[in-house]
Amino acid sequence: MTRSPRTLPRWRRGISPPPLIPYIVAGDPDLETTAEYLALAAKKGLFAVELGIPFSDPTADGPVIQKATQRSLRHETALENILAWLSGIPEEQLPPLYLMTYFNLFHHMGVTRFCREAHRLGCIEGVVIPDLSFEDGILYRKVFREHGINLVGFVSPTTGMDRARRIVKESRGFVYYVGLMGTTGSALHVTDETRRTVGMLKEWTQLPVCVGFGISSGAMVEEILQFADGVIVGSRLVQDEENPTKWKETFEEFFSAAVKGKG
Amino acid sequence: MKGESAIKSRQGRGTSPLPDVRGYFGEFGGRFVSETLMSALLDLDRSFKKAWRESAFRKEFREILADYSGRPTPLYFARSLTQEMGGAAIWLKREDLNHTGAHKITNAVGQALLARRMGKTRLIAETGAGQHGVATATVAARFGFDCRVYMGSEDIRRQALNVFRMKLLGSEVCPVDLGGKTLKDAISEALRDWSRTVQTTHYLLGTAFGPHPFPLMVRTFQSVIGQEARRQMLSREGRLPDALVACVGGGSNAIGLFHPFIDDPSVRMYGIEAGGRSISPGDHAARFAGGSIGVLQGTRTYVLQNPDGQIENTHSVSAGLDYSAVGPELSYFRDSGRISFDWVGDDEALEAFQTLSRTEGIIPALESSHAVAYGLRLARTMSRDRLIIINLSGRGDKDVVEVSRLLEQKEGTS
Ligand SMILES: Cc1ncc(COP(=O)(O)O)c(C=O)c1O
Repeated sequence: MTRSPRTLPRWRRGISPPPLIPYIVAGDPDLETTAEYLALAAKKGLFAVELGIPFSDPTADGPVIQKATQRSLRHETALENILAWLSGIPEEQLPPLYLMTYFNLFHHMGVTRFCREAHRLGCIEGVVIPDLSFEDGILYRKVFREHGINLVGFVSPTTGMDRARRIVKESRGFVYYVGLMGTTGSALHVTDETRRTVGMLKEWTQLPVCVGFGISSGAMVEEILQFADGVIVGSRLVQDEENPTKWKETFEEFFSAAVKGKG
Repeated sequence: MKGESAIKSRQGRGTSPLPDVRGYFGEFGGRFVSETLMSALLDLDRSFKKAWRESAFRKEFREILADYSGRPTPLYFARSLTQEMGGAAIWLKREDLNHTGAHKITNAVGQALLARRMGKTRLIAETGAGQHGVATATVAARFGFDCRVYMGSEDIRRQALNVFRMKLLGSEVCPVDLGGKTLKDAISEALRDWSRTVQTTHYLLGTAFGPHPFPLMVRTFQSVIGQEARRQMLSREGRLPDALVACVGGGSNAIGLFHPFIDDPSVRMYGIEAGGRSISPGDHAARFAGGSIGVLQGTRTYVLQNPDGQIENTHSVSAGLDYSAVGPELSYFRDSGRISFDWVGDDEALEAFQTLSRTEGIIPALESSHAVAYGLRLARTMSRDRLIIINLSGRGDKDVVEVSRLLEQKEGTS
């Protein structure tokens, strides 16, 4: 099956999707369930889904995602196998995807080869790579760009102003503001500084500025959407990933909060 | 004696300009970490370079090493061992005589001085053999830092003596039950802690590994080993050694000994990795024998990984060498051909552990025993007028319980 690559982000094409980005670990508990979750996200017309590819040593992740990673880590969920698996899923059952994993998996496959295959698939809008620093990214940004794969830039509370400006300028797809210091799954407390920083980032870029890490309730989603363009929900959803009924319930809660928060 | 004075005038500093500003040794190195840690790394880079340019900082570092750790450590001619091997003269660089029993204290002192300058109040560290954990706990006590050490639960079992020492020194030891429950997993946990606490905490990384500037900084501190050895050999024998041998975990004792000799083409260098039970996945830690280039825990280097790019677990009888990746500078010198690498398996290391104990009255750490084993192999192939320096990176007190268990096990099965 061939698909037309999405050369423009959906929000630029005049579509205004619900600003929720759920994080889903591929293969947790199995790929059939993952496909079901993706189809639901597609049906709801979400802005994007972050699809996590399990890596053996997830240094930026807290206990919940570490455990999910261990559950799903097997040959079947290797990066190349996930690409092959995605190619077999009908287009309408896939939301715009951002693959999220550690740099070694891209490096191991070869960044150029990955980009070529991801581009051919069409459903992959970009990549989120927590351990590819802005500096090391210099070597790879061009390759991602040439293939139309968005490399998302991270800004954190420890990022200085000048640096944040440079990161935002080079970011593609969206800007990922890590709302807290720590690993995924710690508890986020929205402060004036969070608001101020996100506000500043929005002035510097046309891209959606999304807040992630530590978002654990619908109320929090609504609060954040007062000042941010989108929210990324990771650990709180991953926690329920093994149990589809529970996951869908939690998902609905976040989804309606996102719809409400946007209005 | 023109040649000799020319050698002396180079002062054994090494002239290699690497790493570059982004922390690369050729294609190896970098700073593959999350954005949250970047400001701390940039800060550390600036602070380290500034401090190291100041003679007052270097002087304080040297004085503490002298008074507190007992430097310079001796370069000892192992006469009986040399006779028994019947080949090259074997010299031991006695890092085992440092305070706390290994070369690790040198780096811990350097980084503690830096952390204090930077206004940090808390230290964290990873440890495998426990030597680096003990060194960090020691400087934490000496300089008044809070301290937490991450250690794989398998290592906690086999290095129990060091766990007790860390606690005695007032540090908290935090067991890590993830992955292979060894050094790699302890580093991941330390990185996670650091990303939560980076404003008050310095991550005192124990080897020439991880994101820039750690490989540069640790090498700079540990180069005192090679600088001393060079001076000592010149004054004792009037010439440079022909070969250097060191074991390689992350690579700090190896690059510390080698670096001041890098520009001396007559000096051959051998880095020795842990061959474990066999060179098949999960059974060893010989990254240059079974690995390929990858990115792990902040750096691009040789890594043991499977065909999917997942990091392999490792095995070695020595906790300090039991690690899936290796420092980026050693990868660089391996590919350039300047440093040769080989491996020694569990059994041969255990044998060398006993040989050195019996012939010289020195009980080496199991890590160092790998270097000793290879040094013995090498000595036999070289003529009597040749000089070998083996880096005796640590002493074996921490290993005696585990070795006696292993030897009993062996007797039981044979
Ligand atoms: C005595 C001793 N030697 C060597 C090592 C290996 O580390 P490195 O390669 O950094 O010298 C260790 C690590 O724990 C050690 O304790």
